[in-house]
Amino acid sequence: MNTLYDVLIIGAGHNGLVAAAYLARAGKRVLVLERRHTLGGVAATEEIFPGFKFDTGAGEAGLLRPEIVADLKLHRHGLEFLESPAAVFAPQPNGDSLTLWRDEASTLAEIARHSAKDAERFPAFLRLLKRLTEVLQRVMLLTPPNIAELKFEELLPWLNSGRKLRQLGRHDMMEFLRVLPMPVTEFLDEWFESEALKAVLGAAGVTGSMQGPQASGTAFVMLHQQLGAANGGFKASARVKGGMGALAAALAGAAEKHGAEIRKAAEVMRIKVENGRATGVVLAGGEEIAAKVVVSNADPRRTFLDLVGAPQLGPTFVRRVRNIRLRGTTAKMNLALRALPRFNGMPGNENCLSGHILICPGLEYLERAYDDAKYGRFSRKPYLDLVIPTLLDPGLAPAGRHIMAITMQYAPYRLRESHWENERDKLGDHIVATLAEYAPSLPDLILHRQVLTPLDYEREYGLTEGGEFHGQMGLDQLLFMRPVAGYGQYRTPVGSLYLCGAGTHPGGGVTGAPGYNAAREILRDWKKIG
Amino acid sequence: MPKRYDAIVIGAGHNGLVNAAYLARAGKQVLVLERRPLVGGATVTEEIIPGFKFSVFSYVISLFRPEIIRELDLPRHGLTILPLPSTLTPLPDGNYLYRDWDHYRTLREIARHSPRDAEAYDEYGRRMYFMAKAVKYLLGIVPPDPTSLRPGDLRGLFALGRHLLGLGEETLYTLTKLMTMSAADFVEEWFETEALKATLSASGIIGTFLGPRSPGTAYVLLHHYMGEIDGSFRAWGFARGGTGGIANALASAATALGVEIRCNAPVARVLVKNGAATGVALENGDEFYGKVVVSSLDPKRTFLKLVDESLLPGELVAAIRRFNIRGSSAKVNLALAAAPELACLPGNGPHLRGAISISPSIDYLERAYDEAKYGRFSSRPYLDVIIPSLIDPEMAPPGKHVMSCFVQYAPYHLREGTWEQQREALGDAVVETLAEYMPNLKDIILHRQVMTPWDIEQITGLSQGNIFQGELSLSQLFFLRPAAGWAKYRTPIRNYFQCGSGTHPGGGITGAPGKLAAGEILRRWR
Repeated sequence: MNTLYDVLIIGAGHNGLVAAAYLARAGKRVLVLERRHTLGGVAATEEIFPGFKFDTGAGEAGLLRPEIVADLKLHRHGLEFLESPAAVFAPQPNGDSLTLWRDEASTLAEIARHSAKDAERFPAFLRLLKRLTEVLQRVMLLTPPNIAELKFEELLPWLNSGRKLRQLGRHDMMEFLRVLPMPVTEFLDEWFESEALKAVLGAAGVTGSMQGPQASGTAFVMLHQQLGAANGGFKASARVKGGMGALAAALAGAAEKHGAEIRKAAEVMRIKVENGRATGVVLAGGEEIAAKVVVSNADPRRTFLDLVGAPQLGPTFVRRVRNIRLRGTTAKMNLALRALPRFNGMPGNENCLSGHILICPGLEYLERAYDDAKYGRFSRKPYLDLVIPTLLDPGLAPAGRHIMAITMQYAPYRLRESHWENERDKLGDHIVATLAEYAPSLPDLILHRQVLTPLDYEREYGLTEGGEFHGQMGLDQLLFMRPVAGYGQYRTPVGSLYLCGAGTHPGGGVTGAPGYNAAREILRDWKKIG
Repeated sequence: MPKRYDAIVIGAGHNGLVNAAYLARAGKQVLVLERRPLVGGATVTEEIIPGFKFSVFSYVISLFRPEIIRELDLPRHGLTILPLPSTLTPLPDGNYLYRDWDHYRTLREIARHSPRDAEAYDEYGRRMYFMAKAVKYLLGIVPPDPTSLRPGDLRGLFALGRHLLGLGEETLYTLTKLMTMSAADFVEEWFETEALKATLSASGIIGTFLGPRSPGTAYVLLHHYMGEIDGSFRAWGFARGGTGGIANALASAATALGVEIRCNAPVARVLVKNGAATGVALENGDEFYGKVVVSSLDPKRTFLKLVDESLLPGELVAAIRRFNIRGSSAKVNLALAAAPELACLPGNGPHLRGAISISPSIDYLERAYDEAKYGRFSSRPYLDVIIPSLIDPEMAPPGKHVMSCFVQYAPYHLREGTWEQQREALGDAVVETLAEYMPNLKDIILHRQVMTPWDIEQITGLSQGNIFQGELSLSQLFFLRPAAGWAKYRTPIRNYFQCGSGTHPGGGITGAPGKLAAGEILRRWR
C-alpha cells in the first residue's frame, strides 16, 4: 500500500489522543490504532448494563493539564467539567464522619468537630501544599534532562524551575527536598492529630501504589495527586460531564479536526523494525501499515517485549524493562443502583456524597490493608474510594437510578494461593460486605455489578500486570529513570519509535502530559526524520 | 580558677574520641568528659560475669575509616582487627547458605541453590564495589547546602555534581536506585534464592524502623557495604578484646596527643554567655571552661537537653523534635558453657567463626517488621549472631564461649507494657528462635544479658536506643542531617559544635563524623 503516514500511534488512550492531536495540529499525517471498540483506554465510558454508563477505568480528570484543554480547545469539542460541592466524605466506624468541602470555611468547621488544633493548622497546610505542588506542576511539561550527558539547553528549563524553587525561599525549598521522600504518615503526623483527617489526606499517597502509607515516597504521591487541586486537601478532582468517554471524544474530535484518522478494533500485533528503525506496524489481521514514525501509548513492558521483541534490543535495556515495577494493586467495582444509598454519619442531605466517598478510617487501617497485599492476598479490610457520578450527571443512568464506581486497594496482580478467575466474585462480595458496614441499605439496592481485577485490566485494557500507572510512581521510577534509566526523553533504542504513555515522565493519572511532551520531542526530531 | 581548655568534648564515644584526637593533633588543649566509668559509649567491652567479656552493644567493625586508623596510628595503641570471614544463613528445612572469603567456594555454594544467582553474584559484587567507591566520596565531605548561594556551598555543589557525573552512566543510575529503592526490590533485580536475597537485604534494615520492602532501605544496604571497599569479600572485622578495643586504642592515641579524659563526669548543661558557648557544667556542679564545646551526643540531647531551647531558632527546635530516632534493635549477649551446635552444619568449623544470620526469607524479615509497626517486638526476629570467643579466645574462659546476638525488631515504644516488663520475654523469643537452628543452645546458657532499646538508652544515653543516633532515611541524610541548614557540625550557638553519628555521614563505627567535625572546627578556629 502506498498511503504513507507520517505517524502511527498505538493506542487511543488519552495520552495517545493528546499526542495525535498535537502532531496533527503540526501538519503531520497521523493514524491512531485502537485495539478496542471504545476510545480512551482506561479513561473510557462504557454502557455495561442497558442505560447505565460507567467509567471503566479512571473516573476523573482533575490532573489534566489546563494548557492542553486550552491548546486543543477541548470545550468546543464538548468537554465540560462538573464541580462537586463536597471534596470527600469519609464515614467512620463509630458512626461519625468527616467531610471536606470545596468551600474552605465549612471544611474548617467540620475539621474543628474532630480537632480544633487541626482546624487551626489546616489553612497553613493547604498553603504549603499549594507552594510545593506548584514546583511539581512546572516540571510536568518538561522533558527530563539526560543526566548521563547533560546538555545546557536541556538543563535550562529545569534550572528555571530550580529558580522557581529558590523563590520558594530557603525554608520551603528545604521543606520540598525533605518532604518528597517522606512516608506520608510521618508528614501528616507532623501536622495533625485527628486520625480521620490524616487518613483522608494520606490515602491519596498510596493511589495505585504497591506500598503502604509508612513507605518513603508516599508523600510525593500525595503531592502528585494534589496537582492543580482547586481547593486542595484531598485530591485534584474534576468530573467530566457524560463520563471520561467525553474527554476521549473531545480529544478525538480535536485530533480529527486537524486531520488525524482514528481506527477502532485495530489491534497492533507487532512493530516492524528494519535496520534499527521502526517502519510501521502489523495488525492482527495481518494488514501492514507503514509510517515514518511509530508512537506507542502502550506501557513500556508491552511495547518493548511484546510489540518490538527482545531480539531487537540490547540485553541491558531488556533487563531494565523487565525490572520495571508495574505491580497493579487496584481493583474496581461498578454498581448499578436502584436508588441512592444512605451512609452512616451523613450530615444532612446527599450533597456530601457528591464528591469522593472514602472508606479509610485510619492510616493504620491503610497500612494493614497493604500488609495483606504484601503476602499476595487482597486486603481483608480494603481501602475503598467511591463516587456516585449520577448525583452531578443524572444522564449516566435511567431516571431515578444511580451508578456507583468503587476503586479498591489493595488487590495485588499476583495472588499467592489463588487465581483472580476464582477470586473475582469473592472480591466483589467482600467489597459489598465492607460497604454494608457503612451503608447498611446498599446490598439491597444493587441491580448489577461489574468487578474488574488487575488481571481484567491486563486482558481487556492491555495494562501489563494491571498497573494503572504503566509503572509504579516510586522515587526510583521518576524523571530520567522513567520508564528506564537512560530513556527518559520519550525516545527509545529503536530509531523513529517513541513512547507517549503514562510509563514516561511525568507518569500516571489523566494528565495528558506524557502525550504532550512526546509530541514536542517528536516534532523536535522531525528534521532528522523528514 | 580552673584551667581553660581550647576544646571540651562531651562524650567519649568513638566519634567524641576521634574528634578530640584530631583537635589535639592540631595542638589544641582538649578535655573529654564521659558520663560512664569507662570510655567508648556504645563501643565498649564489659566483663559482665567473671571471665566472660561482652561487646555489650556494637559488636563488629567494618565501616571504620582506614585513614583514621593510619593517621592516629591506632595499631601502635593496641588496635588489632581480626577478620570475620564468613556468613552462614541456616534455613528452617535444615539446609543452609554459606558464604566466605573463598570466592569460588562461595560461588559453588550459591550455585547449589541457583546457578543463575551464582553467575549474577560476581557482577553484583563488582557493581556494589563501584557503588561503595562512588559513595565513599560523600562520606569524606562536609555536605554543601543546596539552598545557599555562598561561594563555598556553590563550589561544594559543583564538585559534588562533577563527581556524580564522572561516575559514568551505569554507576549513576544504580546510585539513583540505591538512594530510593527498597533493599528487597534492589536484590530481587539480581537474585532468586530467598536465603541470599534475605541475607543481603538484611543489611538494609539494620538500625532502621523499616522493612526490607520499604523504600530507602537499599541505601542502608549500601551504607553497610562501605566496609567492603578495601578488604576482599566482606571486610567485616572484630576488634581484639571486643569492640572496646577500638575505644581503648582511640583513648590511648588521644591521651598520647595530650588529650585529658575524665570518666564519671556527666555533663548537665553547656554554659552559654551572650550567644557563645564558654564551657560546661557537670551534674555535681563542677564547671569546665573551653573556647569551644563539642557534643558527640545525639541531636535530641545536643539541642534539647544540653542547651536551653530558647537560645535556638524555633524552626531548628521543631526540626530536632521531629527528627526520627526511633530505636528498633536490641542486643542479647550469652555466656555459654560450650560451643553451640548448628543443626544444618554439626560440629566445629569455620562457619562458627563468622556471622550467623537468621534471615531465611524476605517474608520472614518483613513479618518481623510488621509486628514492630504495631508496637510489638518480633516474635521471630532477624538475628545477626557472632561468637567472639571463637575468634579471640581471651573473650571467655577456656572451653567456654560468649555469643553476641543483634536483634531486630524491638521498637522503643511498646504498645502494651514497658520494656522492664517485656525484657525477659524478648530474651526468650531470641533464644527460642536460635534454638530452632542450634538444638543444644538452651542447655549451654550460663548467663543471659538482654539489652532492650530502653536499656541502651539508659546505659549509653542514645535517645530511644537508636544505634545510629537517628535513622538513615532519605529525609535525614547529607545536608538534612540532623536538620536543614545545620548539617555542617555547627549550631546556632557560637563555639558549640556537634560531632556524633547524628551528623553526616551517620551511624556505624566510622569515626567520620568526629573527623569531619574536627576539620570544620579547626577551619573556623580564630
